[in-house]
Amino acid sequence: MRALCEEAVAAALAGGASYADARAIVRRAQLVSTKNRRVDRVDDVESEGIGVRVLVDGAWGFACDRRLETAGAQAAAERATTFAKAAPGKHERKLAPIEAVEDTYRTPREQDPIEAPLADKIALCLAAEESMQHDDVKVTTAFVRAMREQKVLFTSEGTAVEQDLVECGGGIDAMASDGDVSQLRSYPSAHGGSSAGAGWEYVLGLGLEREAPRVAEQAAALLRAPVCPPGTTTAVIDAEQMVLQVHESTGHPTELDRVYGTEAAYAGTSFLSPGDLGSLRYGSDLMNITADPTTPDGVGTFGYDDEGVPAERTPIVEGGILRGFLTSRETAEQIGSGRGGSMRADGWSRMPLVRMTNLHLEPDAGTLEDLLADVDDGVYFETNKSWSIDDKRLNFQFGTQIAWEIKQGKLGRMLRDATYTGVTPVFWGSLDAVGGPETWTLYGLTNCGKGQPGQHAHVSHGAAPARFRNVQVGVAPS
Amino acid sequence: MTRALELAEQAIAAAEGDAAEAVIQTERSGFARFAGSEVHQPTLIENESISLRVVRGNRVGSAAGNRVDEEGLRELAKRAGGAADASPEDPDFPDLAGESVLPEVGGYDEATAALGPDEQARLAATVIEAAGELPVYGFFTSGEVTVSVANSSGFSGEQTTTDVSALALAATETMSGYSEQTAWAVGEIDPAAVAREAVEIAGRTADAGEVPPGSYRAVLAPIALGELLQYFSFDAFSGLALLEDRSYLGGRIGERCFDEKISIADDALDPRGLPKQFDFEGVPKQRVTLVEDGVLRGAVWDRESAARAGNGQVSTGHASPPALRRWGPLPFALSLEGGNAESVDELVGLVGDGIYITRLHYLGIVEPRQGVITGMTRDGTFRIRDGKLAEPLVNLRFTVAVPDVLADVPGLTKQTTLANEAAFYDERFAYGALVPAIATARFEVTGIGGPPGI
Repeated sequence: MRALCEEAVAAALAGGASYADARAIVRRAQLVSTKNRRVDRVDDVESEGIGVRVLVDGAWGFACDRRLETAGAQAAAERATTFAKAAPGKHERKLAPIEAVEDTYRTPREQDPIEAPLADKIALCLAAEESMQHDDVKVTTAFVRAMREQKVLFTSEGTAVEQDLVECGGGIDAMASDGDVSQLRSYPSAHGGSSAGAGWEYVLGLGLEREAPRVAEQAAALLRAPVCPPGTTTAVIDAEQMVLQVHESTGHPTELDRVYGTEAAYAGTSFLSPGDLGSLRYGSDLMNITADPTTPDGVGTFGYDDEGVPAERTPIVEGGILRGFLTSRETAEQIGSGRGGSMRADGWSRMPLVRMTNLHLEPDAGTLEDLLADVDDGVYFETNKSWSIDDKRLNFQFGTQIAWEIKQGKLGRMLRDATYTGVTPVFWGSLDAVGGPETWTLYGLTNCGKGQPGQHAHVSHGAAPARFRNVQVGVAPS
Repeated sequence: MTRALELAEQAIAAAEGDAAEAVIQTERSGFARFAGSEVHQPTLIENESISLRVVRGNRVGSAAGNRVDEEGLRELAKRAGGAADASPEDPDFPDLAGESVLPEVGGYDEATAALGPDEQARLAATVIEAAGELPVYGFFTSGEVTVSVANSSGFSGEQTTTDVSALALAATETMSGYSEQTAWAVGEIDPAAVAREAVEIAGRTADAGEVPPGSYRAVLAPIALGELLQYFSFDAFSGLALLEDRSYLGGRIGERCFDEKISIADDALDPRGLPKQFDFEGVPKQRVTLVEDGVLRGAVWDRESAARAGNGQVSTGHASPPALRRWGPLPFALSLEGGNAESVDELVGLVGDGIYITRLHYLGIVEPRQGVITGMTRDGTFRIRDGKLAEPLVNLRFTVAVPDVLADVPGLTKQTTLANEAAFYDERFAYGALVPAIATARFEVTGIGGPPGI
């Protein structure tokens, strides 16, 4: 694949490009899901191709071809340069300098998740479903996924990186219904379970079958739970929901391409501006956010990003102050600091974008019980159900699958249809406790959307339970 | 027989199953995405993928790939067969679709298919130039997609479609306006007009004010209504969601739940939309009535969900693309019948006192069974006073039960618009909703966001 990439880059340079890179990728992805104790999906998808990105007179071009052969590489290079030459606008795009590197990277693994037998994957799902059987539960679902990606990047600056990445994950859902009300519970996370950049041993360690009875019982109990009442109160939020809070209200706003407006028409922009770096108070002193593509088991973990920038840990928010952005080489050059490192593409047929890698809320101290103990009256939220945030990442509303009232420092009644809403810096400013390292959990999401045409990114977030004061809870149509 | 159908036949033969089905999607497309009036993210795609489903006895497995040479097809068949062998028996798996007469539809335009990188860049430039001094953000895209479906039960069909969209957000830090046009023929859209409309709306959004949360009468432009309706439909009008108690229709079919002015169909045969001949299981497309004069009539089905439903339910031709198949049957050609209003201004007059919404942002389904959806307005929210459009408003958070929005409808425009609903993830599959502008007596504003602008 490296030779093909070299051919593509040579063709692009011959076509007038001042810079070119080529990524050749072979990706295989499996999804096994069972629903109501029968196999719902056994999908095994392999996709391969080459994507060529060029700069001609400061304008970008990108084209791809599924053929991993000379004809495909050259055709992609030709179309990319043709487009760049025709691209409208005053183009002066420049890249922050990096050192050329030749290297390889391989996700550490005990067992290649693709090689785990399909029959074992199906059996694991069916066993988990068997343990979710309950009179009130109408739909049970169990699923596991596995992915292997072999990727070569070659650039006209001499970088040549070969990466062998794997990831896998799984989850279970139980949906209870009494005909009028339907309630969903999930484990270990909603919207597709949780994934890790690791071998099949990660899925085996999730304990899907072990957690299944609790998930089913809680889904059934939610049918009889009262709706979360509206009001302004103290919110304690579990690590899984905090992951989404971090993702939506700190991850996306700190993507520097959004700050510069390049996602304005679709995903939106950011309330941040480049000049906020080092001075903007994002939240309370307890707010510490770190981008770290070196995190063990992260689905945003790699040796090099899709521009060949080596993975490194970067503080984004320290003590509540904005300290960093997620950047590309181009946006790093624009802001005049850094060198990029967050450029990722969804396979060979998409152009790299600034994406989250692994973005964490750093732990502080204490257990969940410690966080609850200092609450006379509040709500404890667990597991995301719905999410929405405005185009500048300020006004958000999240709903969770389950909640509990907090009375005198203890969990009380279970509540359903719980939501909370806020404005990003105000909300983070009300953060007054974050759990300790023993409560910090890493989750891997596979459904982060951005770009036109759309791209899915796989990103991990670690978080601990956290406590926020004066939160608007329980918004619902009157 | 076309080359793609020959490939499909080869894959089916290699599958060595009791039955097999192959779906081939061929894409040649270009995206000229721009921001700040410069193209910054072009994407030119050439791809051909094949999805193979194999039935061995009562065991079913599938695999997909994009290597279509002899070795690639052989390896694909091996993986699909292996998946079938690893699966437990599924006695409820329905037979594959048989031979059928396909409807004649439009949906292909030679001029659109011929657009190459130069022309796509030029048409993006048309949008940018028409915006004048105001920076624009958006894209011009066109694509040619061929879907070929063949199976061992005798179905063999192929359709090549084209689609084209121009989209523009005209914005500064203090104002923003939005417009888009989508069609299957490039001659049917006017990229410059898209830019001009976005600029015109933006020009009215500076110095936006606030309104307190509460229930408002409202006018939703077609783009806003299309997105709200599409999100609602994912659960409400899906046969699988109905079976799984996720649909608003559950227990309500035959009841009048909406205003009698509301009639909704899924109609992939309508030439004003993005017409399709058959679904991804090879079942012919048909017009499916979902709501008739406010009365809930039914959902859409694919072969698997119809078989699970029993009671004689058959597929309505709504099997999703392979990448989306796990979500079950979905309505990708929604059509809400227009009303009697000659113009949006007439709807504004019917509302009298309320709000006008151009576009929605980041919808989230809060409670599918009741059709509760939250989101934000953006790029053109205005106050309506005395039956006229008045001052601009900041972006508003709303949390609405869609059935409430549709329950009391003072009016709908006669004219409908094709609103693009595709975000173009995975293999290209363009779809949209044909919708009028709507006046509703009830739209719940639950929060206040920032001002227009980027």
